[in-house]
Amino acid sequence: MSDAYQPDDGTGTDPATANTDPDVSADEYDPVEVFPTEGMDLRPGADSCYKCSTCDTECPVAEVNDEFPGPKFQGPEQWRLKRNEDTDIDDSVMKCSNCMRCDNVCPSSVPLSQMHNTARGLYVEERMDTLSVEYVRNRILSNYRTSAWLASKLPRTANVAMNFGPARWLMERTFGITAEREFPAFATQTFREWWTERGGARVPNHEKRVAYFHGCYSNYNTPEVGKALVRVFEHFGYQVLVPEQGCSGTPMFANGMLSDAKRHAETNVEGLVEAIGDGADVIASCTSCSMALRQEYPELFDLHGIEELAAHTYEALEYLRIHEDLEGALRESEVDPQSFAYHAPCHARNQGLATQAVELFDSIDGVTATDVGDSCSGISGTYGWKAENYDVSMAIGEEMFEHMADDEAEVGMTECPTCAMQMNHGTGYEIRHPLQVLEAALC
Amino acid sequence: MAISDDVLVVGGGLAGMTAAVAAARGGARVRLLSHKASTLRNASGLIDVLGTDPESGAPLADPFDGLDALPGEHPYRILGEAAIREGLDLFDDLLGDRYLGSHTDRNALVPTHGGTVKPTARYPESTGSGLASSRERTLLVGFETITDFDAPLAAAHLENAGVPFEVRGVTLPFPGEFRADVRVTRMAHALDEDREAPVDGRPGTRAALAERVSEHLDGEERVGLPALLGDERGEEVREQLSTRLGTDVFEVPMGPPSLPGLRLEDALEAALHEEGVRVESGNPVVGYEGDDRVETVTVERVHREVPYEAEQVILATGGLVGKGIRSSRSGVCEPIFGCHVPQPEDRYDWFSEGVFDDQPFARFGLRIDEGCRPLDGRGETEFENLRAVGAVCGGYDSAREKSASGVSLATAATAGRRAAECL
Amino acid sequence: MGYETTALVIGGGSTGCGIVRDLAMRGIDATLVERGNLTHGTTGRMHGLLHSGGRYAVSDRASARECIEENRVLREIAGHCVEMTGGYFVKRPEDDEEYFQEKLEGCLACDIPAEVVSGRDLRADEPNLARDVEKAIRVPDGAIDPFRLCVANAADAETTGARIETHAPVTDVLVEDDTVVGVEVTHESGPGKRVHISPGTTEEIRAEYVVNATGAWAGRVGELAGVDVEVRPSKGVMTIMNVRQVDSVINRCRPKGDADIIVPHETTAILGTTDEEVSDPDDYPEERWEVDMMIDTLSELVPILREARTIRSFWGVRPLYEPPGTGTKDPTDITRDFFLLDHEERDGLSGFTSIVGGKFTTYRMMAERITDHICEQLGVNERCRTAEVALPGSEDLATLDERMDSFGLRSPIARRSRQRLGSRAPAVLSGTDPNPVVCDCEAVTRAEVRDAIDASGSDLNAVRIRTRASMGNCQGGFCCHRMAHELSPRYDEDVVRAAWDELVRERWKGERHALWGEQLAQAALNYALWATTMNVDGDPARTGAEVDFSAFDAGERGSEPGSATGVAADGGTRGDQ
Repeated sequence: MSDAYQPDDGTGTDPATANTDPDVSADEYDPVEVFPTEGMDLRPGADSCYKCSTCDTECPVAEVNDEFPGPKFQGPEQWRLKRNEDTDIDDSVMKCSNCMRCDNVCPSSVPLSQMHNTARGLYVEERMDTLSVEYVRNRILSNYRTSAWLASKLPRTANVAMNFGPARWLMERTFGITAEREFPAFATQTFREWWTERGGARVPNHEKRVAYFHGCYSNYNTPEVGKALVRVFEHFGYQVLVPEQGCSGTPMFANGMLSDAKRHAETNVEGLVEAIGDGADVIASCTSCSMALRQEYPELFDLHGIEELAAHTYEALEYLRIHEDLEGALRESEVDPQSFAYHAPCHARNQGLATQAVELFDSIDGVTATDVGDSCSGISGTYGWKAENYDVSMAIGEEMFEHMADDEAEVGMTECPTCAMQMNHGTGYEIRHPLQVLEAALC
Repeated sequence: MAISDDVLVVGGGLAGMTAAVAAARGGARVRLLSHKASTLRNASGLIDVLGTDPESGAPLADPFDGLDALPGEHPYRILGEAAIREGLDLFDDLLGDRYLGSHTDRNALVPTHGGTVKPTARYPESTGSGLASSRERTLLVGFETITDFDAPLAAAHLENAGVPFEVRGVTLPFPGEFRADVRVTRMAHALDEDREAPVDGRPGTRAALAERVSEHLDGEERVGLPALLGDERGEEVREQLSTRLGTDVFEVPMGPPSLPGLRLEDALEAALHEEGVRVESGNPVVGYEGDDRVETVTVERVHREVPYEAEQVILATGGLVGKGIRSSRSGVCEPIFGCHVPQPEDRYDWFSEGVFDDQPFARFGLRIDEGCRPLDGRGETEFENLRAVGAVCGGYDSAREKSASGVSLATAATAGRRAAECL
Repeated sequence: MGYETTALVIGGGSTGCGIVRDLAMRGIDATLVERGNLTHGTTGRMHGLLHSGGRYAVSDRASARECIEENRVLREIAGHCVEMTGGYFVKRPEDDEEYFQEKLEGCLACDIPAEVVSGRDLRADEPNLARDVEKAIRVPDGAIDPFRLCVANAADAETTGARIETHAPVTDVLVEDDTVVGVEVTHESGPGKRVHISPGTTEEIRAEYVVNATGAWAGRVGELAGVDVEVRPSKGVMTIMNVRQVDSVINRCRPKGDADIIVPHETTAILGTTDEEVSDPDDYPEERWEVDMMIDTLSELVPILREARTIRSFWGVRPLYEPPGTGTKDPTDITRDFFLLDHEERDGLSGFTSIVGGKFTTYRMMAERITDHICEQLGVNERCRTAEVALPGSEDLATLDERMDSFGLRSPIARRSRQRLGSRAPAVLSGTDPNPVVCDCEAVTRAEVRDAIDASGSDLNAVRIRTRASMGNCQGGFCCHRMAHELSPRYDEDVVRAAWDELVRERWKGERHALWGEQLAQAALNYALWATTMNVDGDPARTGAEVDFSAFDAGERGSEPGSATGVAADGGTRGDQ
């Protein structure tokens, strides 16, 4: 795996030469960035701001990191101060973790995360040296799918190699990828491999269809989440479709790699819009993926069908709560008594879904799910992987770790794979996805 | 499948949260929907009932003495004194010893960051030893990077207002390495954390602050600092400072972002949890279904609409600041239920010439009946099961009167109780 | 008492400031008196357009030529006041093609660089323009900050030995033997004005020559001297948008009409304007329809303006003049040329000249002409150099950027500081530590506010126009008090409080015209911050109300009988009535 991360050309395992996956194209690591400038003037967004600073009080990074001035400055103030030719975006924008909590609290609906995402793209394009180690590192981290795809070809080797001490030391020294964290294990069989082997959908239904956007993590690392989703939806009689797809783009937004994200978005929109045409709604098991499809895509890109996709995308649990009598179904279910320390990912909060899991599991006899507080887990995708952010990331997570420790539950629960990583890293707990608990209760 | 509850509260500020608690205590299954963070963190955290004499404009010593002079459409006149007392009782019960002032009907005069004194009915414990009616000699301490509070100037201002104590101010650097644009929340966090130094002989943030302040003490009996003395561990921070200084320590309320406002929000959220209120935030309520009754309210979840069903609905979306009342060049409206908002036709009649003249826009909002139900243009109830609480109600100028929290509490207690009674 | 000067200039607008600098540079002992702040009159109430001359290229080619000439000069000498945005004359389908061609020919004939741009290229540059805009003529219009320009002129004059006296209205013009020999001024003091060595006193300033550069107010000053100056003031509204919807000057390409220009000005865009004669330059109606017309008509060019946030509107009064007997009916047809009225020739009153008419862009040229005239009268033989010597703040701008990194400011704040302060930035920013931002909207730091206070004293409105602090989207809601705090401890608390009150009043005045939507929510928030949190309206220090502090709650401890430190009176007990 470390070989594949060599920024220099040719000598190592170049993903382009090893490429058999049509989604991984030769320009994946091409250091030429073309920033999509059309429609990116967000100054009018500053019209909504009345300076109340609510966003600043909610920013987990600003609370612990003095270098980060907070979303108000980073968003409406910086944009309002901009003339069209000004490109000197303050470098502190790279400290934003894209948790989007500012969006969630702003009483005036200022498009804060869109401003940050766009400014970050502009910063990366204008100010960042594309040959710098930081740039290459960020590019690699944000193109997690490419690495994961490679690793999944030889998962066992990758799992060992990636957490091999000297390799990690080297990664930290050369790339600034913190050696404190353990790389997630790659599954020996990806979700898509399982899906193919199983022969696809087992419930045919023209009336009730969902298209599953599994994202990278459920595919390469936690296929059990994807499997749980399939079984739960089939339990309710849905036909599950699994269209062609790339990365949702979330890690790319956070690193200002907007053209990488756009390329993946094109694939996703195409495949998912086709499924919508076949009568399906789109569901995701990762809250950052559903956030990207619903909000960030239409904010950042102008692609055919993008609004339609946004209008048909749901988080999996949300979908069931709206369309099925989930509480009724669970009343009859039997499960082993279990307690969970639940953390609501920021991106779930952003979709108004922060309390749904706790509320739902309260209605299952024998299950208790306790919300461990509304703080951010601190990892924010690739953010907490960067050596320079590691301490900040752990400081942000401190509140959550404490609450988890205080709670009697010994198992954690969350929808977001990187939050799960952080929860596990901070407490050593096993972490489940709500769909896995549902699967146990229903199937 | 509509999500269904007994009482649905729309809006999560002081009024909404209190109304939800009142309804839950009445036995209702309650859900609270809030779109964004409340405006509580913009506010000083003081709980005003009526601070200004409606006739003379002077600070009012007893808020209940001023009620009769208020105009007939004022929520206090509609709901009556008992509702105000009910609201205050509920608040006192929820906040316990975190707030003071319940021992008397009298208003307290609290020194603010503008150097002014502000009449208020309840005040956070952290401001308790700073009251202007106490004669203790006072040192005010400001920080170099906090442009919102100039301690020497505030001290001079208080003296010019005739306070019955000696007061002096001093400006100091805040301990630790911070950038010039450090936010108050970051400073509060640093005091909360109190990095357990001593690293290379340096004391922790609290001790270092106490050390700096003590150098400037000259026999003062109390020390006032801007309201940034910790967030979650505020009490501990103040106690330690107080012990080290050998004086009382109090906070001076500031503008946004307000730590006392944030702490109040946290306390109320905990109360909601305690009462079993289900809270959902992040999505706006955009409309409703129904005719004379509100059958369901419509929540917009990123590009799609989801119905929520309830027997009783409480509207607590705030006023112009909270966006429960909106305006355009052509008029003022309540956007969710389209309730009637009395208003002058010409927008040039919405304001007065002088900035502190009687401002019509400040009174924008819904007219209510004695059960807090909004009234239409003819004085009839808009919906039999809809009640309005807090700043979305009109007919009063909370800034001029210093009555914002009192109206919120009185309407919330009434509406919450009545909603539960109607089930 | 008497103060003697060689030349006295009345009026601290662009013309007056330009004259006093020119006089000082030619070695003449000069004094300028202004009744309010610098730019208090028309100069402070315009949209800040640096004309390319394109606007006059059809109707008045002489003016057009002067404009492009001075446009080039100002870019050189006042680089830190100018933003070369470029400008367009935009044609909509309903606008006359023939006039478009005339405009193009006129520009070329006047040596104004001009080229036709297609609708498509235009929208690539200005994406917010309406889709049906056909084409445009590109010209070198720009934006200029009139405050900064006047302040720089005055500051340079002061350095060269001139005396600048603001808040000093002329209360009499001294005439002896058909000769003007000086003026009497009153040094105003009080709320928001400056704290002055001699507040409320009058002073006689005797001069060998007096220039009346008071623009729309020239008739008033003329009256004091006993001569008629027939200015025809004409008002125009300007509406300020919260952000820049366009980054170039957008002119509507049609012969004349209201609401035909948008100027990107600093962080905002200014919509203009109307042209309506008024009888009194100090008292005229400011009406709703004027604001509505700006928004509705200019939305035809830039549709997003219709729903965009405006933060205030203001009106200015043009100092139009035409020689007696011309009798033009419509003020839009009155010439924009300037006139030098030598009252010796005209009225037999020597030692006195008025300058009227003219435009802001050619202020320097006007100042040069009148300074030439004064020199002639005084027998001074010195050449004008104001077109060659850069104003303070505009020297060596090229090398400035690298030095900005050293002040520890976030990059947009450093950029805005540099744009406002020009070459003075390092000197201003290096002196204050820590240097927090005082006005967040406009990114103004403490150092810059204090620098302005050094120059203009306790008048926070003068600080405002120098720095732009409180001119952003909150209109001072979050920073008026912060600005006032910077006056302490130099000034006493009562002076600081009065200055704060005056600034708040001024901010409210213009904001009233923007009170709907976001700005009404902002106003309601500001009102709550001031009146609720700070109780400014009920502040005993302000109202003078006698407060019986013992009648209020002194805390539980304070109300215990026999308490050592509490007040004597019981705060009352709960529910005791």
